[in-house]
Amino acid sequence: MRQGKRMIQRAIHVGGARSGWLAALLLTASWLALPAIGLAAEGATAGPTEYRDIPYIGSRNMIWIVAQLHLLLAGFVLGVPIFAWLCEVIAWKGGEQRYDKLAKEFTKLLTSAYATTALFGGILLFLLIVFYPKLMNYLTDIFFPSFLVYCLLFLFETATLYLYWYGWDAMQHGGKKTLHIFLGFLLNFFAIFIMIVPNAWATFQSSPVVISEGTAIERAWAATWNPTWWPINIHRLIANVVLGGYICGAYAGVRYLSAKSTEDREHYDWMGYVGNFIGVFGLLALPFAGYWLMREIYQYNQQMGITLMGGFLSWLFIIQAMLIGVLFLGSNYYFWLGITYRIPGSESKYRKPILWMLVSLLLCLAVWMTPHSLVASIEEAQKMGGAHHPLLGVLGVMSAKMTVSNLMILITFMSFVMYWRAGKQDAAPWAKLAKAVMGAVLVLASLAVIVLGVWGYFVPAIVRINYFSTSQVLIVIFVILTITPLTALLLKSAKTTTEMVWGRMPPRAGYALVLNAIMVILLMALMGYARSSSRVHWHVYGVMRDTSPYAYSPALGSASLIMVFCTFFFCLLVAFIFWVATMGDKAKGAQGTVKKELPHGIPAIAGGAPDHGQL
Amino acid sequence: MSELAQLQLIALAIVLFGILILLFIQSNFFRVTGFVSIVLGLFSLMSLAVPQMASLPPADEAIDIASIKTPTDIAALGQTIFFSKGQCALCHSIGPSESARCPDLKGIGAKLTKAFLYESLTDPQAFIYQDYRHGGVPKEYPATMPSIDKDPIGLSKNEILAVIAFLQQMSGEPISVSLSELEIPGQGAPASVAGEESAPLTVAQAN
Repeated sequence: MRQGKRMIQRAIHVGGARSGWLAALLLTASWLALPAIGLAAEGATAGPTEYRDIPYIGSRNMIWIVAQLHLLLAGFVLGVPIFAWLCEVIAWKGGEQRYDKLAKEFTKLLTSAYATTALFGGILLFLLIVFYPKLMNYLTDIFFPSFLVYCLLFLFETATLYLYWYGWDAMQHGGKKTLHIFLGFLLNFFAIFIMIVPNAWATFQSSPVVISEGTAIERAWAATWNPTWWPINIHRLIANVVLGGYICGAYAGVRYLSAKSTEDREHYDWMGYVGNFIGVFGLLALPFAGYWLMREIYQYNQQMGITLMGGFLSWLFIIQAMLIGVLFLGSNYYFWLGITYRIPGSESKYRKPILWMLVSLLLCLAVWMTPHSLVASIEEAQKMGGAHHPLLGVLGVMSAKMTVSNLMILITFMSFVMYWRAGKQDAAPWAKLAKAVMGAVLVLASLAVIVLGVWGYFVPAIVRINYFSTSQVLIVIFVILTITPLTALLLKSAKTTTEMVWGRMPPRAGYALVLNAIMVILLMALMGYARSSSRVHWHVYGVMRDTSPYAYSPALGSASLIMVFCTFFFCLLVAFIFWVATMGDKAKGAQGTVKKELPHGIPAIAGGAPDHGQL
Repeated sequence: MSELAQLQLIALAIVLFGILILLFIQSNFFRVTGFVSIVLGLFSLMSLAVPQMASLPPADEAIDIASIKTPTDIAALGQTIFFSKGQCALCHSIGPSESARCPDLKGIGAKLTKAFLYESLTDPQAFIYQDYRHGGVPKEYPATMPSIDKDPIGLSKNEILAVIAFLQQMSGEPISVSLSELEIPGQGAPASVAGEESAPLTVAQAN
């Protein structure tokens, strides 16, 4: 150390007039060398290195940020192809070419988004190997067969993505279009497997299944098929659709706000509607998947479930309820704005139902946000007269929360149906009967959900969890599956009294779309923290203990600032990806203008997006 | 200034940053950025407004065996473990509770012998205690009791004995766990309660 100091002093002395410059250089070099000092210190101890650290930010925070960004990007990269493929299929089956153009516009993002995701995945892997060698050795020993499968999947996914994107224009008609649709299906098929393979590694850490006998493949398979693997797979798959939809909506919202021409305003208004619709479509199913996941966690390990719902993470679920509530409100608000502005004359007709829906949503949200089992100090508990608040404790239990979440889903679904029906007049002779049936189904279903919720207070928890809550979910699914086809049939023969007018939405509609996307991203970041913290001081729950200085879970407040950073940075990355992907189009647009002026035009830029019908 | 206040200031600065952008910048992209800042800042402020609880790992603290003089000292140790590392209070109540997922432990030390209690903690599926609270056919409790001498709780033999002493004391029973049953590091294992292997005398307390 002394020698080093002398060397630095000598260097500064020799530098003379350039000493400031040299000092800055040396300071930078020494800052960069600090991790190496840390590594050397660890390496000097006996036995293999278990952990390494990095100064200032800390190894755990570094991993946290990079992992969260990778996960958000991966959700985007997996959600967008589902979104794009659905749009392409709608265009293929229904003949509406604007859906095909929308699908293409989003597929264009995939190549750059895919590369960025892979880049963050690579960084995460290197950081994990550097900072957590013991854990990575252990996981590699167990999962190396699936690591190889993962590499293969990446090769297939990349090849399919290239064929899907670069073959878009070449495969537009006849049998080739069918082949293109099949490629889109394959792309999503591989993408889903790319998601579920690493899900096994992550869920293994929370709910490990370790067997000491058998071949490497048998051990890897047992570890893969752990209790929370499929619940997470389903939950993340739906969440990715939601993320893809809402990000599409947010992009459309931003472009709508800056659109100058009427054509652009119409297009981005419509795009916002499609994004919001797909987001809501997934959102309706997401609470069911989340409930299943929590049930599996409770069944796997009671302590882990209680740590999440009643222990130090209990307040997190109140914040989660708030975010979900805002998301539901934002999605409904966007539908209501659509009714008001896109369908002239509908405002007065739907004002009252909208007001009732808003009040109901707010009441449901208030119940959902009511705390129940909270860690309270002795003084607080004494003031409340027990662990539960005497007035609010009754609303804070799962029976009430399940009931209101189902009611919120029903209200949101009815908002959509209302929007769908606005501006149309039924012409079918059986329309009255159909409407009466739909009304009866909705009222009876709502009553049944409430009755089951109240009854849930008087039965043992196991009966409520296994039968009542499941029945509530099935009732809501029944309503959706009954009313959707009936409405579609009714509208087939309905007369359009008011044409939908695109591009008239006020600016706040664009901000509502952005808000929805932010809520989804924050929810993903928040629940990532919850899932990781539920393992408390274990790398692999009950199997490998975290003995690093970071074997604690930070409080929600300080964790929220990291979540905020990840959300903001992810938004910037997505904005960058959109900007990069549309840069070629702008150049082409400019060229198109020049082409019109020049008699012979000029050659197209190599590497630009293969675009014929650019919007 | 406390750490919480510093974090609240940061969150407030994020909100103010967003407000300033909305007030003074016309570019739509930056205005959206400002709006996002406000939303994110409010989220942070909300997260900082709820009780702040960190989850700290249980710290292994060597107990000075010489400081344990009486069975009451063992029970006091057991009480600490019951509410911390043992995580017993997460599921069990002491006194009747409708919302408790597992049997009420009030008076349990008077109903069951030391050996039976030891077996219930280390091999909980040997005899299943059923729920008679609702009348009719007895039901199984929704939660399954884990073997607390195994991970993730992993209490040592001394810690289990201390919990038993606490349960007995709480039930008004004389404490039947004697000092001679506790293991002292570096010495041979004393008489076994249920044939368990010896473990060093440590106790973990949640900080």
